Amino acid sequence: MSAADNIATILSSGARLTVPLAFAACGEYVAQRAGTLNISVEAMMLGAAFGSIAVASATGSATIGLAAGALVGVAVAFVHGNLSHRVQINTFVVGLVLNALVLGLTSYLITVSTFTGHQVWQVSVPVLRDIPIVGPMLFVQRWPVYLLLAVIPLTWWLVQRSRWGLELRAVGENPQAADVSGIHVNRRRRQALLWCGLLAGLGGAYLAVGEVGSFNQNMTAGRGYLVIAAVIFGAWRLGRTLVGCVVFGLADAMRLALPALGVTMNSQLLIAAPYLLALLAMLVFATAHREPRALAQPFQRGTT
Amino acid sequence: MAAATTVAAPPTGPSGPDATGRRLLRRLNPGVGGWQVAAATAATVAVALALSALLISVTGGSPTASAKAMYQGSMASPAAWTTSLLYVAPLLLVAVGACVSARSGFFNIGQEGQVLIGALFGAWAGLRLALPGPLLVVSVLAAAAVGAGAWAGLSALMYRFRGVNVVVSTMLMTFLAQQLVSFAVNTPWLLQESRLGRGTLSPQSNPLPEGARISSLGEYPNLQINGGLVLAIVVAVVFSLALARTRWGFRLTMTGLSPAAARHAGVRVGALGGMALAISGGLAGLAGALLLASPVGTNRLQPGMSLNIGWDGLLVALVARNNPLLAIPVAVLFGVLRAGGSFLAATGVPPFLVDVVKALLVLAFVAPPVVIGMLRKRRRAGEPATTTPATDPAVSKQDAMEGSLA
Amino acid sequence: MNVDDQLTPALTLRGVSKRYGPVVACDAVDLAVRPGEIHGLLGENGAGKSTLMKILLGLVHRDTGTILRGTEPIEIDSPQVAADLGLGMVHQHFSLIEPLTVWENVILGDTGRVDRAAACAQVEQVAQRYGLPIDPLARVDRLSAGERQRVELIKCLRRDPSVLILDEPTSVLTQAESAELFTVLRRVVQAENRAVILISHKLAEIMAATDRVTVLRRGAVAFHGTTADTTAQELARQMVGRDVSLRAEGAALGLLPVEPQSPAGAPPSTDPAGAAPAADPTTPAALRLRGVTLRVGGLPVLDDLHLDVAPGEIVGLYGVEGNGQATLGELLSGLLVPDEGAVEVGGRPVELTRPGTLHEAGLGIVPEDRHHSGVVLDMSVAENLVMKSLAGVCTRGVLSRRRMHRIARRQMAEFNIVAPSPDTPLRSLSGGNQQRVVLARELSAGPKALVAAQPTHGLDVGAIEDMYVRLRQAAAEGVAVLLISTELEEVMALADRIAVISSGRIVGVLPTAEATAERLGMLVGGVAH
Repeated sequence: MSAADNIATILSSGARLTVPLAFAACGEYVAQRAGTLNISVEAMMLGAAFGSIAVASATGSATIGLAAGALVGVAVAFVHGNLSHRVQINTFVVGLVLNALVLGLTSYLITVSTFTGHQVWQVSVPVLRDIPIVGPMLFVQRWPVYLLLAVIPLTWWLVQRSRWGLELRAVGENPQAADVSGIHVNRRRRQALLWCGLLAGLGGAYLAVGEVGSFNQNMTAGRGYLVIAAVIFGAWRLGRTLVGCVVFGLADAMRLALPALGVTMNSQLLIAAPYLLALLAMLVFATAHREPRALAQPFQRGTT
Repeated sequence: MAAATTVAAPPTGPSGPDATGRRLLRRLNPGVGGWQVAAATAATVAVALALSALLISVTGGSPTASAKAMYQGSMASPAAWTTSLLYVAPLLLVAVGACVSARSGFFNIGQEGQVLIGALFGAWAGLRLALPGPLLVVSVLAAAAVGAGAWAGLSALMYRFRGVNVVVSTMLMTFLAQQLVSFAVNTPWLLQESRLGRGTLSPQSNPLPEGARISSLGEYPNLQINGGLVLAIVVAVVFSLALARTRWGFRLTMTGLSPAAARHAGVRVGALGGMALAISGGLAGLAGALLLASPVGTNRLQPGMSLNIGWDGLLVALVARNNPLLAIPVAVLFGVLRAGGSFLAATGVPPFLVDVVKALLVLAFVAPPVVIGMLRKRRRAGEPATTTPATDPAVSKQDAMEGSLA
Repeated sequence: MNVDDQLTPALTLRGVSKRYGPVVACDAVDLAVRPGEIHGLLGENGAGKSTLMKILLGLVHRDTGTILRGTEPIEIDSPQVAADLGLGMVHQHFSLIEPLTVWENVILGDTGRVDRAAACAQVEQVAQRYGLPIDPLARVDRLSAGERQRVELIKCLRRDPSVLILDEPTSVLTQAESAELFTVLRRVVQAENRAVILISHKLAEIMAATDRVTVLRRGAVAFHGTTADTTAQELARQMVGRDVSLRAEGAALGLLPVEPQSPAGAPPSTDPAGAAPAADPTTPAALRLRGVTLRVGGLPVLDDLHLDVAPGEIVGLYGVEGNGQATLGELLSGLLVPDEGAVEVGGRPVELTRPGTLHEAGLGIVPEDRHHSGVVLDMSVAENLVMKSLAGVCTRGVLSRRRMHRIARRQMAEFNIVAPSPDTPLRSLSGGNQQRVVLARELSAGPKALVAAQPTHGLDVGAIEDMYVRLRQAAAEGVAVLLISTELEEVMALADRIAVISSGRIVGVLPTAEATAERLGMLVGGVAH
């Protein structure tokens, strides 16, 4: 294989590894802008990965599986939203418990049941796919990748241009002021979580019915935390968050590809790189007021 | 108003240990009103157990057989108790640390990584130091506590100097810790096992020498009480007393409830919180040392050896409402669930069921006081208005500087 | 019924009640506001003004009573509904979201598509109509207090409200800005026939700016009438429920003359009988601020601040809210460290980077926001009383509950703190009693100097009087008292000297005997933007 082929391989596999992160990061970005530091994104992704395979296996359709996965993500978000933005249990506590619950539940269920593998179809654009280096990355992908290309601008538009997004940002910055302006703070936060659940669900489902075609125990293996790291790395801007996802995805692709290429490189460092980068980003940018000011602060009317 | 005044301690001797305990509880859960919470908790626990049973039957298992197997694996015999208690010790240590950090307001969720770092340092001390028996055990424990304490202390430093959110940094550092341990056991000049004859090397360290392991106390037929359990219980009692009865505990509690008031009262908030984080990490590190040096595992440093003890210990502290003494029975419950889980496979029910039960139980314990407190607050909401903080540009600066000044 | 019949009121409340457990916040309140009038709503803190307004705004639901808009009964379930019904509110503390722009803030709470161009155009149009110039694209966190209030007003007025409610609108404004605001309100009322409800605890303001006035006392309507037909003295009596004779009470209610034409019967501004003993100018200062400067984002919040307070002297630091007083209070609480300058207590500079040093040096403080740094609500009364002097209740680091209780009981008796026991959580005490806990703790430490930052905010008249007596007593015992206040009357009544702060600088210091409302007003407004 030529160097160009190797690079093309890494880029294309990096793109594949970026997709689930990017889906979920679009969701997590919205949740955090509304003020929820949502840890349960891991549970959303893992639950969705399982749900997508289970439903795909039952219906024989990977696409229905993908939709079902998204619904599982929404269900986790629904539980999280109601527990932390209605009942007012600490959001980290809810997140930790949901992560433990979904990990336990999916591990249990995958052990007691068997599923047949399913994968969503691949789109391969003739001619364009033959462009050297970037061709395979951009034009040979499974169809949800092209859905992602629609989700990204939609998310941006929702947050930056729609009324819902304006209210969402208001809620994340100053819930008291948003409240007296007539915005239902906790309802907006729950809605933001639902959007996060939908996208994290798509991301998690893509892991299963997109890339692999099956589910294994603890399949996400901390990718949810990677997504949180990406939003932090991106300093709560969508564009930079996605850049973070791409960097993390490429790091993962390099880790997988390098041994085959005969390059010895420290795989631990590559696995740790995303978390390290997120920490470094926080250390470098921490003092600038970038994070939503009410991030991780619960809101209850009548308390100042 | 009425709710708050009826909770006030009775006029008789308010300084007894009971009064202290009540005060502590009340402080931790403003609005906890005895029987209502107890009744609600009983109901939610019943629901959690019913859901678990439902899950078993839906997937073709037998709930009663599973319960029996869990009982046999965890409590039916002295040998079963031995296994349960081996898990209790590290869970309790992690939980006590989590209590300390949560009480200080510096919420640490990175115990899983700190457990691993503790095991890493413990393994290094146990394998590299040539010391006589008891001294070697002590140095394994000390290295684990200091190493993991320093690791958690990094989060405190990041907060103090750059204002990095402690929850986020402790969480991210967990994943660094996992890779650090993986690196150590994959690197020959660090802790990877030495080559004996042929065969490929596993990513693990050599077994800890006999002299570095923690032995069991006493000679009871079948029941072994490991030294680690004694250590954990002593730690729980000591920290419970320190939190309730010392100036340090007073300041720590004050810092958790109101950092501004604490600083105003002369507390170095950043230093105290950093200390709480380091203690929390150190205790998680001790738990890591127990996983390494007590007969719970293989006595080798391995990447997956933390066994989610860090996450579970955190859950123990949540259920115990950040009270180290209450953490003892809760840790026993979690230890029993763990030990019982390994017996489940015999009945055809995957041991992962235990994780489901555990998560549901945590919710069942955590939700009722919050819900009842919230209902009460809602009833009282908007009482004679409290003053709203003034809008002043310095307020936001103050928030940012809180850590860097202390 | 006090409602006049010749005009249909824009808004009518009949028998509106709201109770929280045993506490009656509003007791069968009747209120009728006509179009074309500014209606004053006057009352002490805790009299039910804010509950009533929260009901009108949909933040709180009433227990009984009816609300009519015109002649039609209405239900206000949420702020959204209130806005739809034409009830607009300008909040005491701004409800603006700082990182958002002016136009984004203005359209917050609307429904439908976001149209930036239309929103900007509308902001400019409303701004022009009412004389409230503002740049719609500016970010709110870059605006001054006066500009922010304009944004609030625009946000409210663009929804074309039939009733405009203003909650203590002048607390952050200079006198000039206040006058400007009332001019705008007059225009709103006369030219457009809207109704305005002006909530205030300042008598002078109510007398000067309103057409009719309703006084609330303990949740019920105590008085209702035309402003021109009543006197400030009468309103004060209705507010408190008895004759107001004490000077301290007068000050608490704002009875001192603020405007030259203000009502007869108010005590004169220089009453030697009530003043604390004048300080000897030769004694060294017990509290000295030397060139204290603190910047936020490059802008000075405190700007080369110099101030001396001698033992036995009360110095009033007067200024409009938001001119650095809160920052100074935090600095003197040990929560902030100045970029430049020094604080001296008892003639010695204090090391400010270490917490607790101000207390050790002998500086006591009653902070402005006691819930932020003054007390810990979830700790007991006893714990709150000893928290700054733990050495006295500890032996080798171990707390003695017995000693703690002994100290607490003594201070509770001495300072009339009403609580069931020293173990009662502070949260369940009234505001006045919480403030007494703070004062007891600070004065029991035997301070050389005491800083009282807005010490009477949120207290009722009884508690205010108590606070004044304690502050005077402390000064009489030789403590240097620095009173940071936005209440002109309070400063005039208590202080020996008055220093005026504006934009973080001391713009003038004068003896109270020479101070008049006009001179102070000019100082406050002269340097402000």
